[in-house]
Amino acid sequence: MIAVAAKGLGKWYRRQGVGAPTLRGALRRWLSNKPPEGFWALRDINFSVPAGETIGIIGPNGSGKSSLLGLIARTMVPTEGAIETTGRIAALLELGAGFHPDLSGRENIYLNAAILGIAREDIRRRFDQIVDFAELREFIDMPVKHYSSGMYVRLAFSVAVETNPDILLIDEVLAVGDASFQMKCLDRIRQFQKKGKTILFVSHALETVEEFCHGVLLIHEGRLIRQGNPSDVIFEYLKSYMVRLGMLNVEEHGTREVEMRSVRLLDEQGAETATFYTGGALTVEIAYHARRRIEQPVFGFNIKTGNGFYVFGSNTQIAKVLIPAIEGAGQVRLRIKPLTLKQGKFFLSLAVHSWDHAVQYHRQEDLHPFLVKDVSDDKGVFQLNCAWEHRQILK
Amino acid sequence: MIPLVKDLTQHGDLIWNLVARDLKVRYRGSILGFLWTILNPLFMAVIYIFFLRLLAGGGMIIRYEDIIIGVFAWQFTVQCVTAGLNCVTGNTALVKKVYFPRIILPLSVCLSAFVNFLLMLLVQWALLAVLLAMHGAFLGAATFGVPLMSLYHLLFNFSLALLVAAANVYFRDAQHIVNLLLSAWFFMSPVMYPLALVESIARAHPWIGQLYLLNPMTVIITGYRAAQVPGTDFPWTYSSLVGLLIPLALAVLAYNVFQRAQRYFADNL
Repeated sequence: MIAVAAKGLGKWYRRQGVGAPTLRGALRRWLSNKPPEGFWALRDINFSVPAGETIGIIGPNGSGKSSLLGLIARTMVPTEGAIETTGRIAALLELGAGFHPDLSGRENIYLNAAILGIAREDIRRRFDQIVDFAELREFIDMPVKHYSSGMYVRLAFSVAVETNPDILLIDEVLAVGDASFQMKCLDRIRQFQKKGKTILFVSHALETVEEFCHGVLLIHEGRLIRQGNPSDVIFEYLKSYMVRLGMLNVEEHGTREVEMRSVRLLDEQGAETATFYTGGALTVEIAYHARRRIEQPVFGFNIKTGNGFYVFGSNTQIAKVLIPAIEGAGQVRLRIKPLTLKQGKFFLSLAVHSWDHAVQYHRQEDLHPFLVKDVSDDKGVFQLNCAWEHRQILK
Repeated sequence: MIPLVKDLTQHGDLIWNLVARDLKVRYRGSILGFLWTILNPLFMAVIYIFFLRLLAGGGMIIRYEDIIIGVFAWQFTVQCVTAGLNCVTGNTALVKKVYFPRIILPLSVCLSAFVNFLLMLLVQWALLAVLLAMHGAFLGAATFGVPLMSLYHLLFNFSLALLVAAANVYFRDAQHIVNLLLSAWFFMSPVMYPLALVESIARAHPWIGQLYLLNPMTVIITGYRAAQVPGTDFPWTYSSLVGLLIPLALAVLAYNVFQRAQRYFADNL
């Protein structure tokens, strides 16, 4: 059974000026004979989601992800095409939408539930569980304006997961709240999945998307660029979009006397991927071409986190791997094993330069993004090899 | 109209919750919350009466009863219109994220204003009874029909709320225009003077009187007065009949305008 199907879906918006729309603007538009200016937030979107699947929607900011959710939730009307849904839809609301600051947590639970279409009777029955899940027992009769933002989110999420919809829409709401509550939320989402619910999930947390989703839609500039299994689509997204969109100081320069013509990131089995596992292996395969004979070139790399933190860097000179001279085509392999990076998004830079560092032949700064997934419970950026010992001295 | 009824019965819970929210927030804390909502129109009434008597001198009879009824009824309309203005634009996140019949937003603010009005009606009756007793009169026989009349008044207010709610989404300066129109309308309706005042002018220019009766607020307020204050008659003319029917036509128009406009609310917020 198909839960959500989009057929030639398109959404057109009138381009609006700064600030709220005014009567003057409307009159001017009406009087001038020019056709209204606008843009397609979404165009030619075709996909179908089988019931029971979890689909991630990824893409850069402003690519149309939220408009797509709006169309599925029926809060917006498509300009062309159609969207068909089977079953009851609920959206996880953003931070406290529909909460009234002057009302208590208790009153807001009922209000929010009504907005989400949950029967009052159901909420009354499940009230204690909701409050416990939100961890707000002693604050439940306090006006929510005195809540911290974390408490707000916990309350909102706790009510929303009670909706028991057939299709659940999640728009980046899980990015808030502390780590332990996020874990609880993700647990709830797993339960939803087990119950055979359909979930559409907009997120920038690509690791989460890959972990949870059966399929991923990649949207860019209103077009559905790719759909397919998560690791493939995420790989493509990382490769072609994040780099191009300059999330880091991505650049490429050098004399190109030696050129890195292709760079592939390979997993343990030698397959190209963008997702690696802590403790596993990462191999970088560089195919180069030297236009002329270069004596003693140095190949180097470094790895940074998404916010520019320099994690590690090394080169063939430091590693005392002497490359006597190169000319024409060749290959360099860098093998990192075990990979001690922990969960997150990382960026690989590569360079080839002269022995004395005076000439950069080719440098690719932050050009190769990849994801690391971590199955352990340790925290941090790196995996440190550590062991505990305990000895009792005196009793 | 049939889908409307279906929508409303399906979302009864939501309507009730939104009305309760409005009322709770208004009356939160104490009886003082309610006191303020009464004191406000009461002060208005006292100030009008004071100045009108000062201005008009002894020539015109202005009764407290008329002013109180006029001001209370006017407040009901003003509350619906001003709350209606912001009922969609003030709930941006909801309108963008959750599907529910949008008509619930203006409906719930009007219903909470209606509950408010009914509570004020009790105060109004107490005041009227005392005032009338002072010159040996009693509340009119049709007083108990007033809640029924107020349902019609509610329909009229709701229609206005639908129109201004939709307009405010499309041009945010609607609130300024509406406030301007409200103050003009206030003087063109017999809020702080009895209809008799206009009738004396209308004797020279009958068309003014007829035009005046087309104003639904004129017939609604005069209707309230005729029902409660003995000796006030409702002016049954063709114009006043049309004035009575205008809210019905307006309701149909407003409903259709709103339903058409609400499809694109999320785009324009």
